[in-house]
Amino acid sequence: MTATLVKKAGAPPRRRPLAPVASFARHNKTLVVAGTLLVSITVLVLVLPLLLTDPNATDPARRLLSPSLDHPMGTDKFGRDLFARWATAGRVSIGMTLLITLCAASLGTFIGLVAGYFVRVGSVIMRIVDAWMAFPSIILAIVFAVVIGPGMLSELLAVTIIFTPYTARIIRSRTLSLATRTYVKAARVSGMGPWKTLAVHVLPNTLPLAVVQCVLLSAGTMLIDGTLSFLGLGISPPTATWGNMVADGRTYLQEHPTMVLFPGLSIAVFVFLLNLAGGSLRAFVDPRARLLLTQQRRRRKVRA
Amino acid sequence: MVLVILRRLRDLVLVLFVVGTTLFFLLRSIPGDPAQVLLGTKASPEQLDRLRADLGLTGPKYEQYLNWLGNVVTGDFGTSIHYQQPVLQVIGDHIAPTLTLAVTSTAISFVLTVLIVSWAAVSPHNWVARFVNRATQFGLALPEFWLALLVVYVFALNLGWFPTSGYTPFFADPVAAVPQLVLPVAVLVIGQTAFFTITMEEGVLGELSQPYLRTARAKGVTERRIAIRHVLPNAMLPVLTTVGLNFASLIGGVVVIESIFVIPGLGTTLLGAVYARDFPLIQGVVMFIAFLFVAVNLLVDLTYSLVNPKVRVA
Repeated sequence: MTATLVKKAGAPPRRRPLAPVASFARHNKTLVVAGTLLVSITVLVLVLPLLLTDPNATDPARRLLSPSLDHPMGTDKFGRDLFARWATAGRVSIGMTLLITLCAASLGTFIGLVAGYFVRVGSVIMRIVDAWMAFPSIILAIVFAVVIGPGMLSELLAVTIIFTPYTARIIRSRTLSLATRTYVKAARVSGMGPWKTLAVHVLPNTLPLAVVQCVLLSAGTMLIDGTLSFLGLGISPPTATWGNMVADGRTYLQEHPTMVLFPGLSIAVFVFLLNLAGGSLRAFVDPRARLLLTQQRRRRKVRA
Repeated sequence: MVLVILRRLRDLVLVLFVVGTTLFFLLRSIPGDPAQVLLGTKASPEQLDRLRADLGLTGPKYEQYLNWLGNVVTGDFGTSIHYQQPVLQVIGDHIAPTLTLAVTSTAISFVLTVLIVSWAAVSPHNWVARFVNRATQFGLALPEFWLALLVVYVFALNLGWFPTSGYTPFFADPVAAVPQLVLPVAVLVIGQTAFFTITMEEGVLGELSQPYLRTARAKGVTERRIAIRHVLPNAMLPVLTTVGLNFASLIGGVVVIESIFVIPGLGTTLLGAVYARDFPLIQGVVMFIAFLFVAVNLLVDLTYSLVNPKVRVA
């Protein structure tokens, strides 16, 4: 704040247009690197299937090949090219992660806003939400897979239900403090309805928090999505996902460990990048996280 | 104190009631006739009727529900279709491996976390402290099912140090039991340690900004002593709560680990019940896991109030 004021007072008129971007990138290296990698992986799995062979095309003559130039990840028991399958699986896994995260985050934000603004209803809602949180997520997903039948819908429902409470709690506590602000009260007094006040004055102020929450949630979502696919309770074959590719490769662990290695590593790397990006994003909205980051940076600097 | 315990026991009953009721209606809303599914298309009408009566599927929904509720209250969770045994007995037969995995891995993770964070806090400038954060982030990102297969490939298939799978009750044959437990416990420990470490690191940093540390430093207390005497004990408390909250995801991990290492625990039982459509068993196991979760958190809270006098107020 003061910095910009000083600049304006005796500022040299010449200013490099990219300076703020460069400064941001210098101070948030982790965020920039992780973000770039995440976007590149996503673009890669979106583009690759257009260039590669059909991921479900079988070729009995080329069964269970080890990685080579023709088949960078080898082939499976039906002779399907695992690299093509890896790429389409990436589409499905990342797509499911995004879809579930969006559902959980929007539902959670909505519940959080309502529970934070209408206090009396809110305390009842939060009781229910707490009970939700108490439940082992995998178990809940298993129950849904039984009731609806394994597949995209049951996975979407189960994982959304699991992750909604986390967002709801965080957004609610933010809403509680926002509701006491004078501008919110002023809006109410001047005759604005409660829903409109929520939408116009409260929601925009919770959005940064919700976005950060989205990134952190998606890491957990991808892990659970992988686990469910692995157990055969998520999206089922022949549609490939990174999780069910690991399950497919399990039988050939001894001879072809790469069948397990690549898809699992993709999940691990993607989740790791999401965690890193989410962690540095959190520093923008959460003073505790900011403290943590500066402390760690200082630690590293002293040595370096 | 007694009042607190009573209140928590009331909550326990409430949670079980809600979970049980929800499950009851969810499982019964599945389209199709469970008896038909179980016996196949060749079953005679008499057989179907008998099984329906056994499963408590006759009469209107609310009557079925009241019957079921009455049975549960008197400790009768029904009979597992697959095992042909009372559900509680099936659970009792399979609880030991699950508890062994959960308890050993949590205990080891807790000790590891305290060691790592203490080391980082006492000498903040060495390599451990600088890599703890990245390492924990990576540890959190590893999918358990994948990590399990990797350690099986490296340590069981290639090096041959440990068996690939199997389970022997510890007290029956410790020599055979321990090597079989090493890999599954190790996989669970990695994820848990990462999670605990992050919590405790935050706790340490929160304590570092407390004014009493300035007083201690002004008195001339050494940094090392400040870390060990003041910061660490206080930073350990949030980890205790985390142990309880993490129990849910631990159970999720145990389900996966049991299925990979072919350990006959509750997770395998539940997955088996799902594939066999054994509804009474599914209901029993899920309710039991909910019970475990609440019980563990009650235990954690009680320990917490023992360790931390500040929260001992009822």
